[in-house]
Amino acid sequence: MNAVFAAVFVLSAALFLLTDPEGFLPALLAGGEKAATLSLSLLAAYCVWLGFFKVLEKSGLSEKLSRLVYPAARRLFRSDDREALMLASQNLSANFLGLPGAPTPLGIRATAAFEKSGNRYASDMLFVLNATSLQLLPTTVIALRLAAGSSSAADILLPTLLATLFSTACGVFLLMLFSKKRPHSAKTAPHPRKMRARRLKR
Amino acid sequence: MKYFALIIPLIFLVLFVFALVKKIKLYDTFTEGVKEAIPLVLSVFPYLAAMLMLSELFERSGLSAALTSFLAPAFRFLGIPPEIAKLVLLKPFSGSGSTALLSEIFATYGADSYIARCAAVCYGSSETVFYISAVYFAGTGRKNLVKPIAVALISNFLSVLLGCFLCRIL
Repeated sequence: MNAVFAAVFVLSAALFLLTDPEGFLPALLAGGEKAATLSLSLLAAYCVWLGFFKVLEKSGLSEKLSRLVYPAARRLFRSDDREALMLASQNLSANFLGLPGAPTPLGIRATAAFEKSGNRYASDMLFVLNATSLQLLPTTVIALRLAAGSSSAADILLPTLLATLFSTACGVFLLMLFSKKRPHSAKTAPHPRKMRARRLKR
Repeated sequence: MKYFALIIPLIFLVLFVFALVKKIKLYDTFTEGVKEAIPLVLSVFPYLAAMLMLSELFERSGLSAALTSFLAPAFRFLGIPPEIAKLVLLKPFSGSGSTALLSEIFATYGADSYIARCAAVCYGSSETVFYISAVYFAGTGRKNLVKPIAVALISNFLSVLLGCFLCRIL
């Protein structure tokens, strides 16, 4: 991240210096302004969803739901951390349903929990799944197309779904491939299958 | 389309009725959750601000335009229309920027043109990789994100290739 930030910042600043020195500060300020307004709308979304999630948690429903996906999630994330896996699976479901603003707080917490236990593979996997956008319905695109006078706004559904499924599959595959060399170094949690094998041996 | 609008109110209704059956104090519990919203936004804010300033610089400095024209031949070779190259480059940095660009493409080429459909699929099947990484890893203090970011960028790019191809045949 530091490298990307430095490279883009320095190159852009140099370009501004050559072509439009007066535009530099307004560009930065516009970014800051966007951060301020976006934070407000994020705050609004977090208020709604964090309240919702607290009710979900206290009612015991999230516990029930997580029991359903636990075996699959455990394998996918190579983790035994029940709390983190629950957050991660809720994050994925919220993503899939396209609930605006809901996946982020869950994703932040799950990432923090995975990182805390040193399981980088899990936090990487969660990030890749989020960053390859597994979404059932691209609502923004359809709304924009309708607004632009499209006669068949939904005809991009199938190609979008196929493309996004493909990107998610690629992401999972590539991450597994790159992580294969040392899937469980001393720091990372052992693979559940190995855990079970160990338990059986005893 | 219509039925999808039912999802969100239905989810709330089912949960709240379930919680009432379980004798949960709804008001107390809901407000307890909301309490966590401000600390969460505060923890993400610095990274959000830096990322958004960077995306403004990237776009306004002409760097994104320069990169686009530089990469256009390669993109054309891969079957990605050059008009969309900019969207592909911008999307990892900025969600709002690429949304604006998408509606610009719709306005310029017509919402039902091949270019517009391609752009729609590219937009819908890729994500704001740098933004998400900034937000998700904000609180963890982890520095080395090369692997996850590279994997996400490669996968998103491959999905753009597939998306453009699918738009031609579907």
